[in-house]
Amino acid sequence: MSYVRGTRFLSCIPQDRRTWRGLGRHAWLVAVAITVAWGLLAVPVLPAQNPKPTEFQVKAAYLYNFGRFIEWPANLMPAKTGSFTICVLGEDPFGPALDATLAGEMIGNQKVVARRISGPPDSGDCRILFISSTEASRLNKIIESLDKTGVLTVSDIPLFSQRGGMIQFVLEGNRIRFEVNLTATHRAGLTLSSELLKVATTIRRDRD
Amino acid sequence: MLDIKNYSISKKLTWMNMLVSGVALLLACAGFCAYDLYSFRASLISSVSIQAQIIGDNTVSALLFNDPNSAEKTLSALDANRHVIYAQIYTRDGQPFAGYWRERAGETLSLPVIPSGQTQIHWFKNGHLGLARSIVFQGKPTGAVYILSDLGAMNDRLKSYAVITLLVFLASLVVALLISRISQRVISEPVTQLAQTVRIVSNEKNYSIRAGISPNRDEVSTLIESVNEMLEQIQQRDGALRRAQQELEQRVRERTIQLAVANKELDLRNREVERGTKLKSKFLASMSHELRTPLNAIVGFSDLLAEGTPGQLNDKQRRFVNHIKQGSAHLLQLINDILDLSKIEAGQLELRSEEFLVTDALPEVLSTIHPLALAKNIQVKQKVESKSLVKADRVRFKQILYNLLSNAVKFTPKAGRIAIECVDHRDFVRVSVTDSGIGIRLEDQKVIFDEFRQVEGTTDGTHEGTGLGLAITKRLVEQQGGQISVESELGKGSRFSFTLPAADSTSKVQPPAEPAKAPVLATSGRLTPLVLIVDDENSSRELLAGYLEPEYRVAMAESGFEALKKAHQLRPDAITLDVLMPGSSGFETLAALRKDPETTNIPIIILSIVDQKQVGFALGAADYLIKPVRRPALLEAIRKHVPSPADDDSSILLVDDDPKALELLEEALRSAGYETQGVRSGTRALEVLSNKVVGALLLDLLMPGMDGFEVIRHVRQDALLKDLPILVMTGKNLSNEEMTLLGHETQALLQKDGSWQEQLIVELRRVIGGRNLAKSAGQT
Repeated sequence: MSYVRGTRFLSCIPQDRRTWRGLGRHAWLVAVAITVAWGLLAVPVLPAQNPKPTEFQVKAAYLYNFGRFIEWPANLMPAKTGSFTICVLGEDPFGPALDATLAGEMIGNQKVVARRISGPPDSGDCRILFISSTEASRLNKIIESLDKTGVLTVSDIPLFSQRGGMIQFVLEGNRIRFEVNLTATHRAGLTLSSELLKVATTIRRDRD
Repeated sequence: MLDIKNYSISKKLTWMNMLVSGVALLLACAGFCAYDLYSFRASLISSVSIQAQIIGDNTVSALLFNDPNSAEKTLSALDANRHVIYAQIYTRDGQPFAGYWRERAGETLSLPVIPSGQTQIHWFKNGHLGLARSIVFQGKPTGAVYILSDLGAMNDRLKSYAVITLLVFLASLVVALLISRISQRVISEPVTQLAQTVRIVSNEKNYSIRAGISPNRDEVSTLIESVNEMLEQIQQRDGALRRAQQELEQRVRERTIQLAVANKELDLRNREVERGTKLKSKFLASMSHELRTPLNAIVGFSDLLAEGTPGQLNDKQRRFVNHIKQGSAHLLQLINDILDLSKIEAGQLELRSEEFLVTDALPEVLSTIHPLALAKNIQVKQKVESKSLVKADRVRFKQILYNLLSNAVKFTPKAGRIAIECVDHRDFVRVSVTDSGIGIRLEDQKVIFDEFRQVEGTTDGTHEGTGLGLAITKRLVEQQGGQISVESELGKGSRFSFTLPAADSTSKVQPPAEPAKAPVLATSGRLTPLVLIVDDENSSRELLAGYLEPEYRVAMAESGFEALKKAHQLRPDAITLDVLMPGSSGFETLAALRKDPETTNIPIIILSIVDQKQVGFALGAADYLIKPVRRPALLEAIRKHVPSPADDDSSILLVDDDPKALELLEEALRSAGYETQGVRSGTRALEVLSNKVVGALLLDLLMPGMDGFEVIRHVRQDALLKDLPILVMTGKNLSNEEMTLLGHETQALLQKDGSWQEQLIVELRRVIGGRNLAKSAGQT
């Protein structure tokens, strides 16, 4: 019975058969093993094929991941809320995507939460601040006000990194990538993992 | 191929060591190899796993920030490991993210399932090690890495390991060989040495060599010591043996010298004895001749005087003549006995070895004894049960029997009984003579066979004798391989028994006496007709034989069957046939004889109690006589049917150089009815024979000039005379050769001792038939 079911099952999953083709005469044993494993783990291990993520879904995930590769100065660490806050300044381009992405995620032992703020003074417990493109005109002021506050500034405003912003999203083909202004991050006392730098398109170092 | 069984011990030991160390090494190497393979696999897995982990860690950011180029850059570091042929990074949801191919970009493999709770799985397949490892970043699964490595490393490792193992194995074997070559000597060298020593000892028979003693104390050294001890013992025995042999040789030498001396003496003595013997035998020969010749004359002429041939004597003269006759006869007997005894003593008695039946020899003795017995009215019975041939000297056998019988007659009172018995006793024929005489006392029985001993009380003149008879008899019996014994009870009688060896049982069936006699019969057969007596009763046969002999030769058959056989064999001139016989009756036998063309012409005379003449004649009988048959009737019937071949003109030619002997013979023969002519030399005899036909020749042997032997030779060479019957009469002691010659060439041999006259007549009748006698008897 189980053989029959297993065989039928395997026939429904052509890629598996391809993978194990070389097993030859042991295919049966392997097939049975896989069938059992499949039965137990199929759902969590092989996630459902999501539709292609939207630009801001990707950017939301990047925001979260930046948090995982960057170390903040130790004196900043004890936040009042006890959570890792990602703030959005200006008009929120993410919609529900940011909250959905961050839901249930942790960085270190801190819960990750999103907050929308209207101005830099509200950024007291923000670790990462996404500056919406709507704030382009006030960018210099914002950056200035956040100097040495230990907040990672991220934006998709063009020339953001050249204007003193820390990480700027850029579009390369259809892929979303980012530039890093290492001078800015240093000034903020942040330590970026070499892993993160490895995948950055451009790493800027201002003479100062 | 490997014929290990026949290897030397040294080789065997070396081989054994090599085998053991080889196997041990092989096992050890295999174990090491297996362990190394196992641990190498483990280390291979862990090395690939580490690589997977490093790659995973280094591609986390690439995965998270979707930068496959960066991941590929990281993967390209795998170039450093030439065994990794393929690697792949997968996203969190299992989509291929970045790949690495050593050779050229190929197929992208999908990620195998990594069970929950495990971070990596690995497998060996088709000479590859596959390893999948999930990439975890800060406790979150981020993706997976898949590395496929070939097992070249392991194969390389295995190869180098195999080479090293092989080298170690070979090196170890070489070392083991060297060590075992050296160490096996401890065992093999003493053994080899021992074997060599033993071989040398056995090849050279040198028992003084010793095996070298091994310094070790083990079984081999014990063996060597034992062998040495054994060699020691052998050497000692060898020495002892050699000494004994030398002593023996020395002794043999001494004895040989002694023997040679003794031989020389013996030779000398032998020559003396020989000379003595020659003289003695010469003396004996001349004595026998010189003593007998005059005595013969005395005995013969006194006989003739007593019979009144030259003229009637008055009573007194007759009495005197009888005294002379008895005295001289006794003297002759005495001389004969002494001569016999001295011949025996001198070892000069030559005995011939003949094979004959007792039944054949018996009548010849009985014919002499019968008249003596008849004179005392003594009944002589015979019972011959022996069927064996006796192997003895026939003449001497007759002498033995005659001595016993004449003794019996002598010591048996008138009207007594004498019985002769003859039985087979194992390989001997036993003949016994029983009388109802005076008997012999027990103490006398012991000495009765000694010379010159006569039992006391018997020397009273009535039983006169020389006292030599039994002594001679005993010697004669013993010299022919027999024994003689006596049983007796005083007053009741005596029984003398003697045995003589029987001839081989193979010749027991039928006496070869007839074939032996055949040549004699062939020359004289026409002269004496043969009558076959067929009767189942022995007494009846004997009676008839007594009637017919000596005018006819007689053969006997006790059954119809035997009669047919003998008729075929012997071709008798006539057959007398009894009718009432067990088995086939006389008439049946008669019919059978008539039917057979070979026997149909033989005249058959039926002798029976029953009167069935018509049946008999109808069946072809020549004559029919009713029992009891009287002698004249029987003889007449046979004469009617059997023509006598005797020549009417035949006379007997007597040849003797002694005129007295000649005269005596002429007288004796004429009185018996024969015509005679006497001549005194061989030459003269031959002259007579060339001019005249004679019936027989009576010849003396010792004559001056031409002797008897020469005469016989001349006669037998003459074609006309070669069938002439010759009777030899001599006083000479004959040697065996002479006896044989005479047996072949002559028809009768008479010794001039005592009672030759009667015997002469008997022999003459046998040889030339009774015709002359009948005629002469008729004339007188």
